Amino acid sequence: MSLLKERARTKVLPSPVTGQEIVLVGVIAVLWAALAVSTPAFLTAGSIQPLLVATAPVALVGVGMTIVIITGGIDVSVGAAIMVCSVITAKVLVNADVNLGAAVLISVLSGAALGLVNGVLIAYGRVHAIIITFGTANLFMWLGLQIFGSGTVNGIPATLAFFGRGQEGRTLGVPHAFLVTILITAAAWWWLRHTAGGRHFFAIGGDTQAARLAGVRVQRRVLLAYVITGVLVGLASCFVIAQGTSTLDQSVGSGKELAVIAAVVIGGTSIMGGRGSVLGTLLGALLVQTVSSGVTQLGWRSQLSDLFVGIFIIVAVGADLLRARARRSR
Amino acid sequence: MTADTLEKPTRKRERTDLTRLFLTQRIPLLAVLIVIVVVTFFINDAGGYLTAPYDFDYMSASLISAVPLAMLGLAEMLVILSGRGGIDLSVGAIVSLAGMIFGFAYGEWGWPLWLAIIATAGFGALLGAVNGFLVSYIGFPALIATLATFYAYKSIAIVINNQQPISTEPIQQLFSLSKSVELPIIGQYIPDVPLGIFTFLLPTVVAVWLLLARTAYGRRLYAIGTNDVAARWAGLPVRDTRFKAYVYAGLISGLVAVVTVAQFASARPDAGVSGNGMALPAITIAVLGGVAITGGIGRVAGVVLATLLIVWLNAGILLAFVGNEGSQYQLLALGAVLVFAALLNGLTNRKYGGAQ
Repeated sequence: MSLLKERARTKVLPSPVTGQEIVLVGVIAVLWAALAVSTPAFLTAGSIQPLLVATAPVALVGVGMTIVIITGGIDVSVGAAIMVCSVITAKVLVNADVNLGAAVLISVLSGAALGLVNGVLIAYGRVHAIIITFGTANLFMWLGLQIFGSGTVNGIPATLAFFGRGQEGRTLGVPHAFLVTILITAAAWWWLRHTAGGRHFFAIGGDTQAARLAGVRVQRRVLLAYVITGVLVGLASCFVIAQGTSTLDQSVGSGKELAVIAAVVIGGTSIMGGRGSVLGTLLGALLVQTVSSGVTQLGWRSQLSDLFVGIFIIVAVGADLLRARARRSR
Repeated sequence: MTADTLEKPTRKRERTDLTRLFLTQRIPLLAVLIVIVVVTFFINDAGGYLTAPYDFDYMSASLISAVPLAMLGLAEMLVILSGRGGIDLSVGAIVSLAGMIFGFAYGEWGWPLWLAIIATAGFGALLGAVNGFLVSYIGFPALIATLATFYAYKSIAIVINNQQPISTEPIQQLFSLSKSVELPIIGQYIPDVPLGIFTFLLPTVVAVWLLLARTAYGRRLYAIGTNDVAARWAGLPVRDTRFKAYVYAGLISGLVAVVTVAQFASARPDAGVSGNGMALPAITIAVLGGVAITGGIGRVAGVVLATLLIVWLNAGILLAFVGNEGSQYQLLALGAVLVFAALLNGLTNRKYGGAQ
């Protein structure tokens, strides 16, 4: 009896890693090896640490975006949301003497509020997520620019250096920002895979109607997915401020939504919903950052990295399509 | 339900009919909104709240920004109509890259203007064909395929001329294309109209309308967008039809590239992707114009009216606020209008089973 139960459980759970993740690990390993051979400076702490720090915000927002895309939605407003959260936090840091915890809390709460706006409109307005978030992206951008006033926020104190590039930002050589990202990704991986609440997201993305009939509170779950994304946007904004100089300008967060979506789809999450993994997203973000850092270190034009990102998206999703075709024909 | 309707007093039914008309028919709704916007700004103007007069001359001159917006809106409409999540995020990047090609052909190699325009449009169509091939024949989700090509085209456009814009003598003279002209015969009674309206926008609008309303291809496009399984069983060439929608979108983007180069008097490598890019406003215009994101529903007139609404709204906002504030409030207006339109679509879907 217990054996039967055991077997049933193993059958229900998908395998811990998908083919896409193994392929990504392989690709990243090959890239790192190639870069190590061609530029000796690549495999040093001075080069890897900035790479990991720069990966953190994209991967962190990517965790939320993965959950959103698993439910069959999408959030193209995260770039604008990063701008709003970072400008609010930066202004608070400049004008009030707050400590690290309070600054993070303020950023996370602003992110959650923005996520709530998206979530309520999408879950209860029952409109396609891409349209609503295109709209809210404009609204958030207006809000952010209003808070900016005119020009930049100057003289941001180093309160957030704990997440930064400097010496205070590392423990045993590992950047805190990347460590936090790893922990949150691991927690999200466990939650999505091993709890009923997390697996409801897959059910909604697979078939909303069936999920509803099976007793999933679809609207609340969808709302939650966008709020989680908002919270992670808030945390990522702290990383963004910490990585920058003491000046924040209006271009912060611009274009980030596409970078995040690129990381998610390279990581093997299906844009149709119902399938995906936060682990893949972390690897996808790492791959994208490796490419752009590699292109710079090889002395090529930095804009060429976008071309490679495009090619990686095509190859990664193309490989996934081929595997899906093979699965079907089996 | 029928008995219920019969018992209602006539006047109430008339009112619900009117509500229903505005909710289900996007074109009357847009027309009313345009009138509201224009009248509001005229009143503000008369009250002296604006920094410059908002009159017919100003409205006509502001139409110059309607040219790229409406053309790309129509391009997005063709792609969205084709269904199965059709969308094109790469139109802005195509505008940048095709614009650079136009810069080379006309500005550096000295090709005749007509040949350069045809080459640019053809090159845009080629870039669109890459999207169409990936989406239609390989089976990529449109969002992903066009995200990838957005990155690729954007990167190539910047690298191709070492980040430098091309603004040689012939390109600078093209600026005359975006000047306003007086129309023959009736010209003295109405304000001057930007030349781009006649040379680029109107031909595109007419061509897209003819394509959708008067050709077998248009019927097929609506058919595959509504239900591509049914279309396949009806023997329609589904893949070919969807492929061509992306090719046409690329072709229109190539023409927009020429307009943009003329407007800036320079072929800029980031013309279509700087700031918010051109894809977002184009998708906004299409959705506001009543194009259903699920495909199969959408009309040329809706897109054109949506463009007029946004352009005249934006033009008024620029006068109502001083300096940077104006362009910021344009974001607010665009976002609010889009969310409103989307929620309205959701409401109509639930109450009346869809808009037209």
